Order: sequence, then structure tokens, then C-alpha cells
Amino acid sequence: MSAPEHDQSVAAPAKPRPTLEQLRARKERTRQRVKGDAEVMTVSMGPHHPSTHGVFRVDLDLDGEIIVAARPEIGNLHRGVEKLAESLTYHQIIPLTDRLHYVASFSQNHAYCEAVEKLMGIEAPPRAQYIRVMLDEMCRISNHLLWLGIHIMDFGAITFQQICFREREYIMDLFEMMTGARLTHSFCRIGGVAKDIPEGFDAKARAALDFLPSRIDEYETLIDKNRIFLKRATEIGIFTSDDCAAWRITGPALRAAGVERDLRRNEPYAAYPDLDFEVCVEYEADVYARYRVRMREMRESIKIIRQCLDKIPTGEVMLRDAAHVLPMKKDVLRSSAAMVQDFVQVFRGPQVPVGEVYKAIETPHGELGFYIMSDGSPKPQRLRITTPCYYHCQATPPMFEGEMLADIVGIFGSVDVCLGSCDR
Amino acid sequence: MTPTPDTAQLGTALKAVNSKLQQQFGRRFLDTSTFRGELTFTVTPQDWVPVLTFCRDSEDLLFNRLDCLLGNHFPERAEKPLEVVAHLTSIPKTTRLRVKVQLAEGETLPTVTGVWPSAGFDERETWEMFGIVFEGHPNLTRLLTIPDFQGHPLRKDFPLQGRIGGRIRMNLKGLI
Repeated sequence: MSAPEHDQSVAAPAKPRPTLEQLRARKERTRQRVKGDAEVMTVSMGPHHPSTHGVFRVDLDLDGEIIVAARPEIGNLHRGVEKLAESLTYHQIIPLTDRLHYVASFSQNHAYCEAVEKLMGIEAPPRAQYIRVMLDEMCRISNHLLWLGIHIMDFGAITFQQICFREREYIMDLFEMMTGARLTHSFCRIGGVAKDIPEGFDAKARAALDFLPSRIDEYETLIDKNRIFLKRATEIGIFTSDDCAAWRITGPALRAAGVERDLRRNEPYAAYPDLDFEVCVEYEADVYARYRVRMREMRESIKIIRQCLDKIPTGEVMLRDAAHVLPMKKDVLRSSAAMVQDFVQVFRGPQVPVGEVYKAIETPHGELGFYIMSDGSPKPQRLRITTPCYYHCQATPPMFEGEMLADIVGIFGSVDVCLGSCDR
Repeated sequence: MTPTPDTAQLGTALKAVNSKLQQQFGRRFLDTSTFRGELTFTVTPQDWVPVLTFCRDSEDLLFNRLDCLLGNHFPERAEKPLEVVAHLTSIPKTTRLRVKVQLAEGETLPTVTGVWPSAGFDERETWEMFGIVFEGHPNLTRLLTIPDFQGHPLRKDFPLQGRIGGRIRMNLKGLI
């Protein structure tokens, strides 16, 4: 730590923010590496390449080391969730949404339940809203930690993955305590959440939150000024704000391009209006900026969870509404009304008005939207899941154009793609 | 003549969007509806691209992002069983809008990949799942299912289970 070039105490002078024109010029410089008359060689990358984070295949036209064109191919993980959902009642779809993005499964549950609640015109009680926010932010931390480990591993630092998994374990333990599951929670319900906070959760969560910021500092010491990372991440994979709008890039990749858009702030849902947090924006629009956004978001998430633990109101965690929601499981065997409600909800399903809604929330990897068309029956007429990863995969050709073959591993990692959510 | 929507439940920003679009296209909209604070316009296939382009380019609307484009199938509607729905988002104004078009069996729709390149995958998926052809799409091939899959799986008459559609072939000669 004593080597002068790694000295963290000397703050680097703040770089001026690049304008949109400057960013475009930088991207154009990259594009100009592609020569029109070059002899290209086509290489198929994936679907089992470790850097594709799942089963994503891309056909690359190469001129030496330079990418001339890319043709993404998705669908290797297609499970027909939208078709399946049309034959299930609204309550039965919740476990399917978990499997979309298995790293941040609660966010997917939450997005779906928000959409159904909007359709039904109901709102979860305040305590449930706070629990949802807390779990959402825990998802964000665990997703970003996993992303960080894998992303740095893409650049060649294998040990870093182990370090990030070590910290992620604390969040996983909290999830296990709260929901009983570590990966696919299915914890959110229409009109609330499945269970109240267990005893001892508060203390355990606070202990983890006190400890995590120091670990994030540690990661930053290792990465922020690491020469290898800087060389491979700055001014690589530039995607400007207008490109992001045209290709529907959302989440950290959009905020790294200098757009202050976060649905938690712009279209507040759950308990976010009561909470104080910052929308993290960076302006360089490259791989490094995306990394910085995620590191700052982790700190904001810690802040949000701490506020939730302080402010959480008492009361019910599930709405009392026999027409739309399942009763709490603990009541079902004790009260006859709850038993009848459970029976009706399970065998017939909820009462839903005719209409269509679209609701999007900010998940760790971007804006996840659910479109539901209802014909008044307890099953959706059409459910469309608009996942951010789908569009992130689609935007690979303009993102890769002119870049070096070795860099696309980092560029593709930096937009954070989960193929389970992409292929649905 | 379009029926006037119940604008009471719309927010101020969406009321402005509604009046702007009514002023521009008023008589050409087939239907205007509101539900849960969301605004929906139904247009004819000829108006599909002009309306979406206007939404993107107008200084007062600035719908600069296509959030999603999807298809739907209503076998009970005899004349126009198919539907394409576009969700637009304005990042600077944080408003949302839904534009719909109803299509007869076999009717085609011009592509909007020239307006938003992000429509590329969505239109491929809509063609694959519903059989709606988008004219002028650069690469209208199967996206999520296997390349030699038969049929359009999200149509209501496509069964949930069974061997219809095709199985994964072991002989992939010529495909890779």
C-alpha cells in the first residue's frame, strides 16, 4: 500500500464533465477503426463462453482484433413464461417471476405485484411497503456485489469474485432469515408481503449494514485506481444518452451516461417517496462510469435500508380485502373467514376489473415493466414482461462496433445482463 | 368522431399530451381511453408510423423512448383479431403513453425500427409469437424459439402442451 502510484490519500483533480458532442466524438473515433474494405472473419462467441453470463451467443465479424459487426442471438433459455401465465391465476404467477432474474428475484416479484395492484386499484399497507423497499435494496446490493465480482473477473482478477461472494453471503443470510429462501424468494404477495419481519432481523441487518461500507471502501481501494482496470475501462464501450434512449438502455448504464432517471425518484412507488436518497449519475458513459454508478448505488442502498429500519411503521403486512388478496397463512387455520377467503382465492382466483395497465419499477439492472391485459377473469388475457436485459442484449451491435475483441467481455459485463430475464 | 376520454383521472402532464395529440390527429384516432391514469390511443395501420414519429419529434411531447412493443390476440373479435401495442416513455417529461393498432388476419404493419432501433427485437418477437408481419423490418426471423419452429405460440389457439411446433433437432447441418 505504500507505493506512491497507489496512494489513495492524494485526491485526483475532478475531471470536467464531457459534453454530449465530446462523447459522440469519442465513440466516432472508435467506429472509425472499422475499415470498409477489410477482409472479415466471422467468429461465433458463446453460448457457453464464461463472459456471456449465461447462454448468449453473438456472431462477430472481425477485422483482425476489431469488431466490424455483431449479431446477437438470444432465446436459448426461453421458457414461455408469458404463455404459461395465461393459464395461471394472478397469485400463481408470482413464483414464475422469481425465475426471470434469479439474482434479484425479489425485485421481479415486486414489479409484478405492483402491476397487479395497479390493475386492481389496491395498495399494500405501509409496513408492507417498507418491507418491500428494504428487500428491493437488499436485492440491489447482492446483485451489484455479484456483478462486481464477475465483472472484475472478466478483466482477469479471479480472486475478486471470492471476495464479493463473501460479502454477498451476509445479504443472503438476511434474505434467508426474512423469506426462508436464499435465491428464489416468492415473498411478495398481491396486496402485501408473505410474512412480517422475524425477531432478531433488525439487529442482524444493522450489524451487516455497519460492516458493509468498510468493505465497499476496500473494493474501491483495490479497483478505483488500478492501472489495468483503468486502461481497460476508461473510454471503452461508450454509449451516449441519446443512444441509450434509442436502444432502451436503462438502469445504471443510462445513469452512467449522465441521465438523471431513476424510477424510484421519477415515478415513486412503494415507500420511496418518504425516503431520502441520491440518484447516482456519472457522465463519462463508459465501462468505468457504469462501475462507479453501481458502487455509489450500493452505498445509497445501505442508506435506504437503514432509514427503513428506523422509520418502519407498525401494523399489518397484508391488505384486508377478501376480493383481491390471499389471507395471511397464519390466520387460515384459525379463522373461518380467512379459510373461506383462502379457498376462494386459491380455487377461483381474485376479482379483477377489465382493463390494461403497464407498470415499471427500477430493478438493479434497469427498468422492468409488466403489461397486463385483463378480460375480467382471474387469469390474465396477456402478460408481457419487458425486461431491461432483453434490450441490453439487443444493443450489443452498436456498443461493440469498432471495439477490440478482448474489450467486449468487459463491455457486455458492464451493462449487467441476465439471460434468464432476457429470454423469459 | 372520437369519444372524449374521461380526462379527470389523468395527471396534468398527460392532459397536455392528450390535448396536443387530439389537436394534431383528433379525427384520425379510432378510440381514446383512460384507465388507472394511463392514456391509450387506437390508430389505424396507416397512421401507425406518422403518430409514433410525431410523438417522438414533437417539442411538446418528446416521447424519446419506446418502452416496449407487443402483440396480442383476441380470437373472439371476428374482424380484427390481432393487436399491436406500443408503450412510449418520455425521459425528460417522465410521461407515458400507449398507442394501439388493431389488425385483421394477414394484415401487415410498417416497421418502426427506423423511428426507434430498439423496436427490432420486439417486432421480431411479435412476428414470431403472433404472425404479424412488419413490412420493412431488416431481419424478421425467429428470435426466442428454435429456427425451424412451426406456428405462432402466443396465439390463443396454440396449445399450451404437446408436440406441436417442433422439437429440437439434433441435425443442425446448415444452421450453424
